[in-house]
Amino acid sequence: MDQKLEQILNQYQEKIAQIVTDKDLETTRIELFGRNGLFNDLFTKMKDIEPQDRRSYGQNLNVIKNELERLMALQSQKVEKTVKTKVENQENIKALPKIGHLHPVTQTERQLNALFKKLGFSVYNSPEIVTDEFNFERLNVPKNHPARDMQDSIYIKEPEYLLRTQTSTIESYLLKAKSGDLPIRAAFPGSVYRNEKVNRSNHFVFHQYQAVVVDKGLTMKDLISTMDLMFKTLYGPEVVVRYRAKYYPEVEPGVGPDMQCFNCHGKGCPICKYAGWIEMGGSGMIHPKVLKSAGIDPNIWSGFAFGMGLDRWTMAQKNIKDIRTLMGGNLAYKPNEL
Amino acid sequence: MKLIYSQLQKLLPDLNVVPQKLRDDLTMIGHFTNYFEEIENEIVFDLDIKVNRGDCLGYFGIAKDLGVYYNIPLLVPQITLPKTLENLDIPIEIKSNDVKRVLALKLSNIKVADSPEWLKKVLSLHGINSINNIVDATNYIMLFYGIPSHAFDTAKTTPYLIWENNNNRFDKFTSLDGSILDLNKETLLISNQKDALSLSFIGGNNSGIDSNTQEIIVEMAIYNRSRVRKDSRSLKTVTEASIRLEKDLDTETIPMAFDQLINLIIDLGSGQITSNLFEKYLVKPEIPQIEFNAQKPSITSGINIPIDFVLDVLNRLGCKIEKTGELFLVTPPSIRPDITMEADLVEEVVRFFGYQNIPITEPLAFKDVTDITPKEIYLIDELKDKLVDLGYDEVLTWPLVSKPVDPKTVITTQNSINTESIYLRQSLIPSLQEQQDQYERLKLFSTQFFEIGKIFFQEGDKYIEKNSLGIYNSKAENLVSDLEKLGIKGKIVDKKYVEIILDDLPKPNSYAPQVKNFKAYELTSQIITLDANVSFSDEKDPVELIKHYSEIIGDKYLWQLIITDIYKDTKSNQFRYTFRASYFNIDDKTAKDIHLKSFGLKN
Ligand SMILES: [Zn+2]
Repeated sequence: MDQKLEQILNQYQEKIAQIVTDKDLETTRIELFGRNGLFNDLFTKMKDIEPQDRRSYGQNLNVIKNELERLMALQSQKVEKTVKTKVENQENIKALPKIGHLHPVTQTERQLNALFKKLGFSVYNSPEIVTDEFNFERLNVPKNHPARDMQDSIYIKEPEYLLRTQTSTIESYLLKAKSGDLPIRAAFPGSVYRNEKVNRSNHFVFHQYQAVVVDKGLTMKDLISTMDLMFKTLYGPEVVVRYRAKYYPEVEPGVGPDMQCFNCHGKGCPICKYAGWIEMGGSGMIHPKVLKSAGIDPNIWSGFAFGMGLDRWTMAQKNIKDIRTLMGGNLAYKPNEL
Repeated sequence: MKLIYSQLQKLLPDLNVVPQKLRDDLTMIGHFTNYFEEIENEIVFDLDIKVNRGDCLGYFGIAKDLGVYYNIPLLVPQITLPKTLENLDIPIEIKSNDVKRVLALKLSNIKVADSPEWLKKVLSLHGINSINNIVDATNYIMLFYGIPSHAFDTAKTTPYLIWENNNNRFDKFTSLDGSILDLNKETLLISNQKDALSLSFIGGNNSGIDSNTQEIIVEMAIYNRSRVRKDSRSLKTVTEASIRLEKDLDTETIPMAFDQLINLIIDLGSGQITSNLFEKYLVKPEIPQIEFNAQKPSITSGINIPIDFVLDVLNRLGCKIEKTGELFLVTPPSIRPDITMEADLVEEVVRFFGYQNIPITEPLAFKDVTDITPKEIYLIDELKDKLVDLGYDEVLTWPLVSKPVDPKTVITTQNSINTESIYLRQSLIPSLQEQQDQYERLKLFSTQFFEIGKIFFQEGDKYIEKNSLGIYNSKAENLVSDLEKLGIKGKIVDKKYVEIILDDLPKPNSYAPQVKNFKAYELTSQIITLDANVSFSDEKDPVELIKHYSEIIGDKYLWQLIITDIYKDTKSNQFRYTFRASYFNIDDKTAKDIHLKSFGLKN
């Protein structure tokens, strides 16, 4: 197309889009299509063009004229709408679009699911009402074990049925269901229940995330390095985590990850109770008794599991001070903000 | 548990690391140490002792661990008690099967007095009140060796001391501190036939030592730990003694600790031994012999731990080691009942080799393992994304609720201490209604949100769980059209709510959910909404205006900004825009100030 024509098109496209009043609309209409307007002028000048180019010039001129007429019509609708003298009701007539949000806990779960999916993990789940067998016995916590505390579990029907107290219970179900389909790589978020009075810092229901691997020849080095990836994913590459001895009945050796306090960097402050470190969860090599009770031979197969609570992390990330906010509480999302 | 550095050094004279390092090392080997502080010229640590390490509820157990870790000797004081002045047997009878081992002695010419300052200080740093020299001695030995003991005033205990389970003989027991406890049939107690004098973990107020006491019987015993645990739980009484006696304590440590106790009492209360030693050893520890592959610590940890080190650590822990072919036969010390199998030995070795020596390297590499993700997880992820795309917010509500929907099928919790919330929810809708009420209390209107969660029913003796989706929309007509867009049907309740059981819907074979960082806020007060009229001589793009003023007000307090009205004044030819701004986590006055300032308005 003729360079000059293209320039005209661009120039008026912009100009028309900026028109907001009827007055300006009329001025522009006259400027373009009036008797002494631009297009009349251009059609008049057609006679000065070389005969062999005249036909295509005329066609292009018509295309541009039609396009600008269309834009003018479109803009005139907008202008008419916005200058109506009064809106009929108190509906928000102009707002940014309402945006939907995932719950911050879901958001973290997905972030971790995506991370582990890349390593070949499935996502798993199991019931929340569980039996003593899956919540305790299969996790190397027999009856009368000191790790049991009746006060801590919420029972549906004592002593057999209770609400799961930890995501390791999902591991019990997983190991039993998939003991014939090894190796296993699975990760699972889950709600877990404890018989705690609800207040600012405790709740009877909270969220944990756990990952489980069963394979041949797994080591504590694999465990620690994989768990470290999880913390770096959540907290960023600069996070300092130490891995130390920690007791959990379902693992041995047990490993406790502690994050260096983000507030005092290890010096000690009220946030970390002056320890300089914050306990992040639990992990370890799956206890041979746990593998055995699922029908997996611990002489051939090894496993590791690691888990962490999601609520504290979510609270720190979103600057939430009261754990009750997370569930049925004062958690809210700005309607127009991602 | 508290740990005083100078007391620890009594057992480990060569221990001289700086407190900071001791704190970190204790934590690394499994005794999480919160902090240490200097109090009254003493350095005091605060430790969490895990349930499997009853031996570490005394200085002795911790010192043993540290002795192994630092490879320094543990000093066990050797004591020879004076001979008894009288050839007399204490009349003690053990009728209960819950007693493992008891030692007892009679001491006469006791002078009950205040404890010396050093003892008062140690006890007070451990949060224990000083009573008198005799009681304080038993508490000090409990702190040191982890084994509780008790002293009876013989004037109050004649003619017998009987260890027995209650068998409904006594209804009530008044403890040292005066609390009255209702005894159970099985409660383990010590009686003199007429009265219950003591429970396994707390003394009675009828047999305690007072300023007139001249003669005492001192006993130290270890019981079946589950008995103590049940007694302590059922009587809702936790003591320093019950915390220890409900763990696996070492009956073999009793003679040493008991001698130390008698020695200390004589030291402090100038008494004399006037009976033969009473001893009943009914349940001896079952000490396992463990087949042990010395390569196993290296195989499990993934780093090379030399066999010399492995055997040396086990030796220092007090294990007996015999070689049998390729393997070793390891007998752990009685003070470590938590060591029963090879995995336990592996953990000990790695613990003392140091977890810090395991390097952080490559995480597991990708492996193509069968996808065992249940299909409903894909469905849930997909629905959440679709709802978010339609502008819905996700909420989570309490799975335990205060009212059943259908009392016939509701599942009730038996022991929930939150007595307002004892039913497992049967529907999400009442919970969403509560959430909406909560939002309205916060003056948050025009909301639309959803929850996906479990609902629960009982059918006969079966417990049923279903995945459910609940949706709320303040605009009823939008709810209907959104359900159409989602292609799902459900019964609409109260015009604005709908619930759909997901188990009945078709499920996708796979789904990759969106991973995004969403902002969310804790509302600490009501939303404050204020209007503002602003006029311009020309017409503006409303969206640009909203962006412009949002920036002026700032993220910190602005919840939402909309334009509710645009009006053209034909006389002045001005365009008047009515803004509605909502502010959050801010008081009325500050909101108003910010509002006026941001829109350039006068008060
Ligand atoms: Zn800190």
